[in-house]
Amino acid sequence: MTTPMTLQIKKLDKHYSLSQGDLAVLKDVNLTVQPGEFISVVGTSGCGKSTLLRLIGGLEPVSEGQIYFGDTPIQKPGLDRGMVFQESRLFPWFTVEENISFGCRKDLVEIEKQQVVQSHIKLVGLSGFEKSYPHQLSGGMQQRTSIARALVSRPQMLLLDEPFGALDALTRIQMQQEILNIWQKEKITVILVTHDIDEAVFLGDRVLVMSNRPGTFKKSLPVLLTRPRDRNSGAFSTIRKKIYGEFFSKKKTGSRL
Amino acid sequence: MTSTPPPKSKHPFSFYLLPFILPILIITIWQLASNLNWLQASILPSPLVIAQTLLDLLKSAELLKNLSISLLRVLEGFAIGAGLGLVIGFIMGLSPSMERVLSLITGLLRPIPTIAWIPALILWMGIGESSKITVIAVGSFWPVLLSAIQGVRSTDPKYLEVARILEKDRTILLTKVIIPSALPSIFTGLRVGMGIAWASVVGAELIAASSGIGFMIMYAREVSQPDVMLVGVAAIGLTGLLIDFLLLQIQRRLLKWNSAWAGES
Repeated sequence: MTTPMTLQIKKLDKHYSLSQGDLAVLKDVNLTVQPGEFISVVGTSGCGKSTLLRLIGGLEPVSEGQIYFGDTPIQKPGLDRGMVFQESRLFPWFTVEENISFGCRKDLVEIEKQQVVQSHIKLVGLSGFEKSYPHQLSGGMQQRTSIARALVSRPQMLLLDEPFGALDALTRIQMQQEILNIWQKEKITVILVTHDIDEAVFLGDRVLVMSNRPGTFKKSLPVLLTRPRDRNSGAFSTIRKKIYGEFFSKKKTGSRL
Repeated sequence: MTSTPPPKSKHPFSFYLLPFILPILIITIWQLASNLNWLQASILPSPLVIAQTLLDLLKSAELLKNLSISLLRVLEGFAIGAGLGLVIGFIMGLSPSMERVLSLITGLLRPIPTIAWIPALILWMGIGESSKITVIAVGSFWPVLLSAIQGVRSTDPKYLEVARILEKDRTILLTKVIIPSALPSIFTGLRVGMGIAWASVVGAELIAASSGIGFMIMYAREVSQPDVMLVGVAAIGLTGLLIDFLLLQIQRRLLKWNSAWAGES
């Protein structure tokens, strides 16, 4: 393995040019993520949190500022950063095995490929479904496949864009537990974008709260609870309440009712 | 699992019988009308007479000989036309500037009915094999071209993004992402193209030929053998149906990942 790399975002701006002028999506975003950290980013839909992830992933250029991963600025996507989206984005013409194998680095020989794919099928608990096609799988299993595909190239960082957003509540909780296991086993940096406050607190070492457009971090809350965390404990509730407060101030909730 | 239609693994016997009811009914009425002398035998012979002629033609191998000549022409023409359609379709689908370069010429040529080319092609190439094969190639080219362009274009950008994230080169992108995702559309084009190819060969043979199923029909009309004529017509229909069935089977096998096909009976 290569030396662990730190992610550094400095004075990041992102805007899109539209016919009626510039649309500012992200404004003055600053963040440092240590290797092995699990970061949760919460925000309402449309606040720019997914855009931030796409910028870290190198799918889009930044407008102002820099993103450094290790010593090099991020300019394009790379196998050092795995991505998982809300929709699994599995290729319907490939089986589970083939989909995961698609994520492999090209310098692997066939036998290494098979081994690494097998071990990741095991890691995400899909043994027995190697030859299944995506349409034969449940939503949770599709996401497991997608996570495995993002992990086979041994990235240093995993970028999760609301990966469990489309799953039912029970499956979601199960998947959250499993992503923690994977994170602990693989010793990987994870940035999770979500609008589920519960999920953010359950998973993250830190929860970053993003303001509405233009998005910027208005609060960073460390979650100093030991894992596995109890969602019903008092300490958990306290943190959850704090984050709720960031979105729904007393006054606003009143006016809504 | 949720997206697949309710399971209908075993169809009742009547399901397979259903398509045959109407043809049998029509043939029965036709035969009755012939028996009652409502139809003039020199214009429309009875189904039994046609069946007898079919047997005779099969015995003398004349039907199969003509059919196989036409079929060979179709396969040659289709291979050329569909092959070119695929290559040019992929180029146009992948490169917007090439699409721009070719848009006017394809736009102008496409509306021309295939049959309209036959006189010109005979003038340029004579009445030999090459003019017929070219007609077929032209006919099958267009639907394959359009379906290939459409198929390539309709590749989900989200899949392309996945390939970018995973640092795939252009070859992998084309063979593992774009081609598979274009295949359902391409198969539709191939089936339409094959239908047109089969129609074109008959058209070409009706106008100028000394062999083939179209020639057999034309010759039968000239020597007043309506039964032979109709056997020829029926043979065209049956062969066309058979070819389409074969293509559909290949498509099912190749696209078994496509749940839309798996769901179809």
